[in-house]
Amino acid sequence: MPHLLQQFHLRLRSIFRRDLVDHELDDELQFHLSRLIDQEIARGLPPQEARYSALRLMGPIAQNQEVCRDMRQVNWIEDLQQDLRYTVRTLCRNPIFSIVAVVALALGIGVNTAMYSVAYGMLFRPLPYAEPDRVAVVYMNYSPRDFRFGTMCMRDYLLWKDNNHVFENPSIFRNQSMDIGGSEGLPEQVDGAAVTAGFFSTIGATPLIGRGFVPGDDKPTADKIAVLSETLWRRRYGSDPAVLGRTITVNGGPVTVIGVMPAAVKFPRTSVEVWTNLPLVPPTRYGPWFYRGVARLKPGIGMPQAQAELATIANLMMQENPYYKRLEFPVLMLRDALVGTSMKSALLALTGAVGLVLLIAVVNVANLMLARAAVRRREIAVRLSLGAGRGRLVRQLLTESVLLAGLGGLAGLGVAWWCIRLIRVWNPGNFPMIQFIQLDGGAVAFMAAVSVLAGIMFGLAPALQGARTDLSQTLRESGSASGGSSGSRSVRAVLVVSEIAISLMLLVGAGLLLRSFANLHRVTAGFTKPPRQMLSMLISPSKEKSQDVRTGLAFDNELLRRARGIPGVESAALTDSIPPNQQGDADTFVLDGQELGPGEMNPVITLGTVTPEFFSTMGIPLVRGRYFDDHDLPDSAPVALVSEAFARRYFPGQDAVGKRIKQSGPGFGDNWMQIVGVVGNVKYMGLTMDTAMAYYMPLAQSYSPRIYLVVSTSGDASLVAERLRAEIQSLDPTLTLAQVETIEQSMDQSVSRPRFNAMLLGLFAGIALVLAAVGIYGLVAYWVAQRTREIGVRMALGAGPADVIRMVAGQGAMLAGFGIGIGLAGALALTRVLQALLFGVSVRDVATFALAPLGMILVVLLATLIPAIRATRVSPVAALRCE
Amino acid sequence: MSKPADLVQGTLDLLILKILALEPQHGWAIAQRITQMSGDVLRVGQSALYPALHKLEQQGWIRAEWKTSENNRRAKYYSLTLAGRKFLTREAAQWQRLAAAISLIVTHA
Repeated sequence: MPHLLQQFHLRLRSIFRRDLVDHELDDELQFHLSRLIDQEIARGLPPQEARYSALRLMGPIAQNQEVCRDMRQVNWIEDLQQDLRYTVRTLCRNPIFSIVAVVALALGIGVNTAMYSVAYGMLFRPLPYAEPDRVAVVYMNYSPRDFRFGTMCMRDYLLWKDNNHVFENPSIFRNQSMDIGGSEGLPEQVDGAAVTAGFFSTIGATPLIGRGFVPGDDKPTADKIAVLSETLWRRRYGSDPAVLGRTITVNGGPVTVIGVMPAAVKFPRTSVEVWTNLPLVPPTRYGPWFYRGVARLKPGIGMPQAQAELATIANLMMQENPYYKRLEFPVLMLRDALVGTSMKSALLALTGAVGLVLLIAVVNVANLMLARAAVRRREIAVRLSLGAGRGRLVRQLLTESVLLAGLGGLAGLGVAWWCIRLIRVWNPGNFPMIQFIQLDGGAVAFMAAVSVLAGIMFGLAPALQGARTDLSQTLRESGSASGGSSGSRSVRAVLVVSEIAISLMLLVGAGLLLRSFANLHRVTAGFTKPPRQMLSMLISPSKEKSQDVRTGLAFDNELLRRARGIPGVESAALTDSIPPNQQGDADTFVLDGQELGPGEMNPVITLGTVTPEFFSTMGIPLVRGRYFDDHDLPDSAPVALVSEAFARRYFPGQDAVGKRIKQSGPGFGDNWMQIVGVVGNVKYMGLTMDTAMAYYMPLAQSYSPRIYLVVSTSGDASLVAERLRAEIQSLDPTLTLAQVETIEQSMDQSVSRPRFNAMLLGLFAGIALVLAAVGIYGLVAYWVAQRTREIGVRMALGAGPADVIRMVAGQGAMLAGFGIGIGLAGALALTRVLQALLFGVSVRDVATFALAPLGMILVVLLATLIPAIRATRVSPVAALRCE
Repeated sequence: MSKPADLVQGTLDLLILKILALEPQHGWAIAQRITQMSGDVLRVGQSALYPALHKLEQQGWIRAEWKTSENNRRAKYYSLTLAGRKFLTREAAQWQRLAAAISLIVTHA
């Protein structure tokens, strides 16, 4: 042990007290020399002679010192210091090279670090729940509804629960907007969820203060209780712990607060701020289908077993209720449910894209290094001939590239930080788990690893090539034109070709997303009034104002009258459905005289409840018959409108007007409605959905207190928002106003995710393109520099500028040709991952596949033209003299 | 003057250790001793001696300290460590076996 300690001590001393150690060695050898001189004097030589003789006998001292240092086995550290010093000097001597390389690497490493943070945040960062990998979210999908991540009804839940063996305590929840009222402030609407008693223990969330729900809280007779989120608690209740036990108003009724959940708990939605208990009132019929399930797998039970049991239960359900066809229970693990499937494919595409950007950056720097290695061949040859070991030289060159990569990585951290800020600013609102995305130690470690790897990747080829330098040949070559063996040039050409190919792939991907995004913008939701001239808001009147249909309708009429009285408002209406993505209700239906087989159903389609002016307010055209009017009252004959798509599907070649339709979810009575008109198709389920079948009922005949007000205005609709809000609140001070936005805003929101994807991929493609342009420019410029003499000779022999440009541009064109060919093939193979993100564009869109290469050719031309034009300025005399 | 290549590989190390086993010495004295004890057959130059000393020190067989020499100058004295003493015993035995074997062949063959 002391043995090892001693060695360790010596090693440290040699490294950190290097001057001292060298000094001692010097003293030691001086002592030896003095003794040698003494010996020579003793042999009878005069002192001066004795000294010379001794020095002769000693031999080369400096070299010996080096050998002694080698013996101390610390040379590699000194070498490293030396290499670093040397590298810093070289980098400073070529500032342009260094800056270009560092910037390229910073971009490449930066976007990768940012993407790592995003992907890690969404896919791997531990969720704030206990054992989240055992928590599953259970959906129900059946025909005629056909919505994969759809909902179940209470009966389905009870049957599932009774037959369940694989989950601990299955729970259900329902997303709801909740109006919070009370003395503590203005009424406000927040996102909430009604959940059964086992909900919090199932997801494994522990309250900050108070308690979560406990068994019994979902009994039909249970008191109404609520758990608040930390954000709501801090914002509305001033973080007062006395909120526990307090009675607040939720959706017009008294509810007692029992607990507060930490801000990290964000299930079922990121925006959820209040959970209320869901009483399990024994259902008398099937429906409404409001609920999704959440359940914890029993220990030792895997997903396949759970899915097998759910399949059995699905069969049981179809036997009990012939209404269900092709019923299944899709299951997602908690994280997948939070992230969402479309987000996953976007992540995949973007991760691939940043990987390609880094590849281009690395290729680019490798190219620069190769170019420089060629220029430095003489320097390397000289060093080799002076006795530098080849291994040592490779190490020196690698030190250089890793240092470059390290600088690039550090700058890349800045780029990553900026990217993450950009993502937060661009956040399309519904980006899941954005709070999980941060630049942390893991990201820094990732950056460091990527930097070192990149450094070795782009440094190895030039380093090995440098070390292979043939001494005699290089030294014999004449000075200025020496460089680039044909081998190194072809390596560099391959690199540039791959750069062009990769950039083109990114360009095609970005192009597809941009076209898809443009398509989304062209899509009309079915109304003709300009979106910025319409404003909508959700109105939840107090219990008192909406206690029955008569008082409720009277309130609604007064509301509309006041709204129309506001200057600038042209027209006002009430509706439960607003394009592009607010579907009020959805239900199946029965047509009078339609023959349905046993258990056969019409599909579930949009069912809108509106006041007569809805269609004229939004500019939804009347195709046949009439709109609703003021004579369609609670006690007059029931009427309905259907959409054009509906009429075409169910009354082909006939007139839909005059036919009878009935709302027919199980449990509905015999309420036949006469179809009085056909209106234009409107999208209520988002711009990308093409289901436009709908039927409408007048609000007066299907009253619901909570409803949207839509007004159209002569100018900018947002300008009337405040007047409108004040007017409505004066009508009923305890009413809750929420979701006040122009239709333009909601249209914008519905395309925010595609816009986000297109912008990001566009940004990456842009970076790639710039890097590739730099790479091409570098190669061609170098090629021209090497051929200065040849060009001079050609011009002396009568070649004009056009010939020179053609010769140089031909080089670029050849590279571009290869690169574009490979890039197109790669794009065809890779763009398939974009499938899920595209709307109205094929992954093999001809326009994109034609335009992207054109853009690429343009960039290559630009990058080639500059050195080409410079080549024409070569003076034949100077060129011939330059050797 | 003998170059290290003239000595069998590793022999110089053995000689140095053997000499230091008698008493601590500085480099000059070690070289002198080797010459003396070999009856003027072996001569070690500084170019072989000092790297060998530094290597042995690095390996922990010997340690160094600065002391005043017999002619009143500061010199670096090397002495055997405990580990070095054990190493020497092992190496000396090894050498003897090797030398005996070689001389057997050289004299009888």
